[in-house]
Amino acid sequence: MVDIKDYDCAYENKWCPGCGNFSILSSMKEALVKLDISPEQILIVSGIGQAAKTPHFLKCNMFHTLHGRALPIATGAKVANHDLTILVNSGDGDCYGEGGNHFISAVRRNIDLTLLVHNNQVYGLTKGQASPTSDPGMITPLQPSGVISSSFNPLAVALSLGGGFVARGFTGDPEQLSGLIQQGIMYNGFALIDILQPCISFNKVNTFGWYKKRVYDLSKEGYAPDSFEKAIQLSMEWGEKIPTGILYKKEGVSFTERIETLKSGTLLSREYDPMAVEKVIGRI
Amino acid sequence: MGFDLSIKVGGEAGQGIQTVGDIIAAVCGSAGMYLMAINDFESRVRGGHSFFQIRISDTCVNAPSLEISLLLALNKRTYELHKGEMTDGGMILGDSEIFSEDKDVTCVPANDLAAKAGGKIFSNTVMAGACLSLLGAPFEVFRKVLTERFKSKGSDIVEKNVTAARLGYDAVEDTDFRLAPEWTSLDSKGMIINGAQAVALGALAGDCRLAAFYPMSPATSVMRYLTGMAEDFPIIVEQVEDEIAAVNMITGASFAGVRAMTSTSGGGFCLMVEGLGLAGITETPIVIVNAQRPGPATGLPTRTAQGDLQFVINASQDEFPRFVFAPGTPEEAFQLTIKAFHLSQKYQVPAIILTDQHLHDSLFIADRGAFNIPREIERFIINDSDMENPAEYKRFAFASNGISPRALPCMGKAIVRATGNEHTEDGHISEDAENRFKMVNKRNAKISRMVSELNPPEALYADSRIILAEWGSPKGAVRESVDIMRDDGLDVGCLHFSELWPFPAEEVRKMLKGKDIITVEQNSTSQLSRLITEQTGIFSKGSVLRYDGRPFYPEDIAEEIKTNME
Repeated sequence: MVDIKDYDCAYENKWCPGCGNFSILSSMKEALVKLDISPEQILIVSGIGQAAKTPHFLKCNMFHTLHGRALPIATGAKVANHDLTILVNSGDGDCYGEGGNHFISAVRRNIDLTLLVHNNQVYGLTKGQASPTSDPGMITPLQPSGVISSSFNPLAVALSLGGGFVARGFTGDPEQLSGLIQQGIMYNGFALIDILQPCISFNKVNTFGWYKKRVYDLSKEGYAPDSFEKAIQLSMEWGEKIPTGILYKKEGVSFTERIETLKSGTLLSREYDPMAVEKVIGRI
Repeated sequence: MGFDLSIKVGGEAGQGIQTVGDIIAAVCGSAGMYLMAINDFESRVRGGHSFFQIRISDTCVNAPSLEISLLLALNKRTYELHKGEMTDGGMILGDSEIFSEDKDVTCVPANDLAAKAGGKIFSNTVMAGACLSLLGAPFEVFRKVLTERFKSKGSDIVEKNVTAARLGYDAVEDTDFRLAPEWTSLDSKGMIINGAQAVALGALAGDCRLAAFYPMSPATSVMRYLTGMAEDFPIIVEQVEDEIAAVNMITGASFAGVRAMTSTSGGGFCLMVEGLGLAGITETPIVIVNAQRPGPATGLPTRTAQGDLQFVINASQDEFPRFVFAPGTPEEAFQLTIKAFHLSQKYQVPAIILTDQHLHDSLFIADRGAFNIPREIERFIINDSDMENPAEYKRFAFASNGISPRALPCMGKAIVRATGNEHTEDGHISEDAENRFKMVNKRNAKISRMVSELNPPEALYADSRIILAEWGSPKGAVRESVDIMRDDGLDVGCLHFSELWPFPAEEVRKMLKGKDIITVEQNSTSQLSRLITEQTGIFSKGSVLRYDGRPFYPEDIAEEIKTNME
């Protein structure tokens, strides 16, 4: 049995004390332990940002990559060895801003990974600029007259592209979050978990209290996440009330399952065959 | 009696120039001719002006030639544009409906004959037939080529094409073409192949497992061939959302343990540069093909150039070791692609293959003997059983030769961590000054051994006073220009650079010391010349440069050098 201590890592944590990321980190560990996945068996890929530092703070195989590029890197690793269990840690700027095109494409591919977006509606690493999910009107040192663009709605976008596992978590409810991560990992396909995470240093609007007052857990309201129409409606709900939990879930065929070549085993496990090359050259 | 003649097929995009050209080339190649063909086209699907030019000879040819012996004009514009290129005794062939007024054109009623064969659509086959008839090509070979080419479309289409071919062939039966070659030896001299196809074959022989790409001329053809040949291989060819995704996807695949590549042109390479740096600092082997075209930005999308040498050597912020190869022929493209995969794995560095539109889209007769396939693939990967204590594994352990033993993620007790930040030996972020020195030095420590893996430039008449130095695809044209100049009594030789980086400075210094060096390059600022000076302290006397997007012709190079000598 895997123990939560197995995930201990001596590397010094570099987040601000009180950061919502700590809650995500412990929910991740708890989810992995519950699923009996050891640190040797998990690959965590991340982009750039405070969220992307996550894999340094637990014992795991990891690739901390470039701003916005975690998803293509993770996709490449999954295609090479589809037996891997892969988690991706990203942030609202990393995933929805710099990596927007990759986010869109990952949903469309339905690549079997679990994407955790630490969504604090602000840039933390670069100290307080607006992010794609900042609410219009939010004032920052670099947007002194307030954000003038409308905000990016990751859940609605994922749903509209055919996403089959679309969920929202909140760092104030670690039990729910751990459950979502477990279900995301178990889900066969691309699982998006957008996580509301207060930034105690730079977001003075969307604070812990602000979220706490608004969020409600769909599963406690008897909601069944099997209706696309209801899910779309819920994805648009933002303001006085903010739904959390799984908005939509449907079974599908994942990217690597759709590729004929992979039916005979992972790319990594296959033998090199010089005779096959010889045959191709012979045909020219 | 030797022969050397060029056939030009010209018309609008969409008229089937390339199909006619390919068929003529296939017949000539199958019937024992040496050949070389260039493909000149505009960035449009319909209209404009394009041509396909095939040079056939009884000796090996690797460059196009200026004078045309047989011009197949599919429209009036081709005739107007190219009639001045005709050699003495040359013939122009055209459709009677277009050229009835032009006395210097040998007319064939292409549409009427095509209608007899089964429809207007066969008029190109009629013209190809007339062309091959004038050349004296054996009809049986022609029939075989058509059968092979159209068999997937059914026997009816094959039959109609053969009928159309025969009608075209017979239409000019009584016309004498005095430049027609002799068809004595019908044994094929090698395989008909273009550079893109050779790169694709090299990728298969190099055990590439993932090829991710975003379409861009002239690079897409590598992926098209790979897709076509990949059926029996454990390889995935995947079109992705952009070039940034392509380079990062192959980096992720390589991190997880398979060989992976992408192909693009300069503009796409620009987008990949950030990913190149990630592969550099995380010591992840990847192979990138940059098929050059004139730029910057969109430049001349369907044409050829060599403007990216200094760019790819230096691309990315800061510094890290990499390999750069520049094949000059399909044989080299095949061999160097295999070598790029092998060395990038061995040294855990990115490898870049610089090709160009000319190499990718031109047809050559390649020597089958040069297509040696590795019997096995060296992996350069360790696992738990190779380690004393897998739990203590450090992916970036300080190794005196710079090569830290590489394990794969999730394959045992060893934990594998990588990051694009500067890092400790075990792959965690580190801002420590001493660690930074040691990590940069570790990566750079590979360079001296990397140089020793590379072959020195290939010399022809190395003892000559004048040495033409070139890299990549101008090889054939430069070598032929040397022969032309030597026939005129000039003491000239040449040096072909195909394994360019890390630069073999010592070898090159020895080869070039005391020579009058002239570089021949398809850029406007003599990038190879600058590189030689930077690396060896030797200055060249001048350069022959072409940057109009068209390939070099041997006669032009010889002419320019002779003029400069006077």
